[in-house]
Amino acid sequence: MNLAVDMLIGAGLLVLAWQTISGRSLFRGIVLFVVFGLTMALAWARMGAPDLALAEAAIGAGVTGALMLVAFRRLVRIRPDQCAQPALRRSRLAVPVAVLAGGLVGVIGLAVVAVERDPALAGLAVTEALTDSGLGNPITGVLLLYRNLDTLLEVAVLLAAFLAARTVFGEDESRPPTPARREVPLVGALLAIIVPLTILIATHLLLAGSREPGGAFQAGAVLAASGVLLVLAGRLQPATALSAGPAFGLTLGLMLFSLVGLAVMAFGDPLLALPGLWAVYLIETAMMLSIAMTLVLLFAGASGLRRSGP
Amino acid sequence: MTEALLAALVFLPVLGACLLLLAPASWRAAILLVVTVPLPFCLLPLTVLIADAGLFEMALAGHPAPLGIRWRLDALSLLILWLNVSLMILVGLAASARFAPASVEGLRFWPLWLLLAAGIHALLLSADLFNLYVTLELVTLAGIGLIATGGSGAALRAAMRYLLLALMASLLYLLGVGLVYAEAGTLDLYQLGEALEPGLLSATALVLMLAGLLVKSAVFPLHAWLPAAHGNAPGPVSALLSAIVVKVSIYIIWRLWFWTAGDWQLPAPGLLLGLLGGGAILYGSALALVQKRLKMVVAYSTVAQLGYLMLIFPLSNLLAWQAAGYHLVAHGLAKAALFVAAGNILVSLGSDRLRRLAGLDQRLPMDVFTLALASVSLMGLPPSGGFVGKWLFLQAAYEQGAWGWMALIALGGLLAAAYLFRVLALTCFHPRSHGHSTRLREPPTLASLAGLLLALAAIGLGFASAPILGLLEAAWPGAMAP
Repeated sequence: MNLAVDMLIGAGLLVLAWQTISGRSLFRGIVLFVVFGLTMALAWARMGAPDLALAEAAIGAGVTGALMLVAFRRLVRIRPDQCAQPALRRSRLAVPVAVLAGGLVGVIGLAVVAVERDPALAGLAVTEALTDSGLGNPITGVLLLYRNLDTLLEVAVLLAAFLAARTVFGEDESRPPTPARREVPLVGALLAIIVPLTILIATHLLLAGSREPGGAFQAGAVLAASGVLLVLAGRLQPATALSAGPAFGLTLGLMLFSLVGLAVMAFGDPLLALPGLWAVYLIETAMMLSIAMTLVLLFAGASGLRRSGP
Repeated sequence: MTEALLAALVFLPVLGACLLLLAPASWRAAILLVVTVPLPFCLLPLTVLIADAGLFEMALAGHPAPLGIRWRLDALSLLILWLNVSLMILVGLAASARFAPASVEGLRFWPLWLLLAAGIHALLLSADLFNLYVTLELVTLAGIGLIATGGSGAALRAAMRYLLLALMASLLYLLGVGLVYAEAGTLDLYQLGEALEPGLLSATALVLMLAGLLVKSAVFPLHAWLPAAHGNAPGPVSALLSAIVVKVSIYIIWRLWFWTAGDWQLPAPGLLLGLLGGGAILYGSALALVQKRLKMVVAYSTVAQLGYLMLIFPLSNLLAWQAAGYHLVAHGLAKAALFVAAGNILVSLGSDRLRRLAGLDQRLPMDVFTLALASVSLMGLPPSGGFVGKWLFLQAAYEQGAWGWMALIALGGLLAAAYLFRVLALTCFHPRSHGHSTRLREPPTLASLAGLLLALAAIGLGFASAPILGLLEAAWPGAMAP
């Protein structure tokens, strides 16, 4: 039974991947990509990696899908002809690349089957060290305690990615502001339910991250969803200038992480040795806010946000 | 204390980037000064330390490998750190003339610039394969953002192409890292040497990582993205991209090859990498000869000059090692000078078409002088830094009786002279009718001066060879036979 489910998911992934790239239209490809992401999340869950499943569903399918759709919407406005085209042009390189990739999968499969698997040194060390730390989730342990330079630099990468995207936002004033649909009574009621609920889920994911699957990246993506809703509903309007609030949100995670990591050196501890669980929670909260702010700004395609309405 | 100095190299730029986004516009220039000026003073005591002890290691967060990440500073990383810090300061001076820190463009430009510096410093210190991946991402994305600050359609297209290829390269590298971890159970660059056995899995992993890194460092024939990206970015950005960004991934290849896989006997793959380098020298030089725009000549020259850095794999002895390290630094300074000067010329003429450069030696004497000085080093004429690098390469090839490589190195120098003299000849050619002599904006003196300083440094490097060669000798992994 289990094998059948796994094979179904595996075959589904292949078909979805093929459909995504060979799709008859760009829009169809985007939708199929989101479905692919959700199926991939299922696959991760089946492989016993719930953290990855959560991240894939929230970031891989959710946020990425939203970003692609918003890019598509702008493309429709700029180049309607391209979106209406029945088929995407296939590159001449497609077939050689596919053959190479297939060969690569084969070689890796062969190599992996051939290798005798010793228990991973680093993995053993993590499970050993984790008992002293007070954390229950080894992934949070690796991300925040043992290999936290990776995480810190990832947050810097996210900032760099946003800043790189910001260079092409341009001073595009021609964009019409999203209409505030305050006249529709249901939107307000819907937002009043969904936004607090999303914040609650994000907080839960963040706090649960110390013992169970979850953490700053998943929580940030979920929190970003509420921001995306507010942008879509016109409650938050894109602004061209980088104002203080969003700038603070963008840099909070990186600043706090760096400052705490440096401050411990004054007490004779090694660089980035976090002084306790409180520091882990503090930094994760800051990272969650920064990640959410980055994603919302990317979705809005703007350097800043301002409130509209009452 | 040493830990704090290393931390400052990475975290000063990181915090600076954050502060630039938060602080009022009028403070930005001061913030930039505060986070850049201390960098060379951090390197000075580190240089003394490395000259004495040869090596410094620290476990981040107090967790030793394989659990945690190590930082490891040796003579090679120190040398490239010096190169990067010098470039950050001198090219930064040129950039400050174009992207005023207090302006809107400045706010787009400088945070990415600082993040790029932080990424390069973290990359040079890291001794962990996955951490190297993250730093490479930081370097790549910051670099792409900086290309896009050029704003023109060509710059945006080049940035996009670079982004797609660099992401594919990252995935290849990451796949290799995953396979390495599956076999060895550790990610530490230096522990891997013992844990990794030559075999199908580790060979696949190494090939994947190499392929990704070769794309990122634009080694022929994977260089397709480089000329457009480096030719269309703003001048100071091109300078940094060509002088250091493409080389840090070659640095990782060196680390993997000579440290991680140092005990493996790999003459055939080494020869292949060397042939790629040879191809790069010939192909890049040939295309540099036929370009119509100054910056494209310089960009194709980067493709060619990167080829020399691959010659270390087949030659593979101490002399070749010193030659490659020396060439890396000398080319970095000379190429940065060339791009800064080319950027100044582009800004003042409004075009960098070679046909329009005629008579420029009288109108922009300082920039043309910079162009000439940097060319002297790139061609490898004595007494420049470029000469020392190429001379050592020739010696290394001669010692091994590798006549083919000797011919290639000599030919590469001749070709470099050909494409650079072509530019200089056009610049100093005085037509009778001064058709284009209208419309000329003086480039900012600061930018011209920065270019000149870089070119002088590239020449001066030829006189300071002893300490640098000493550092490189100390960094030589030595264990492997040619």
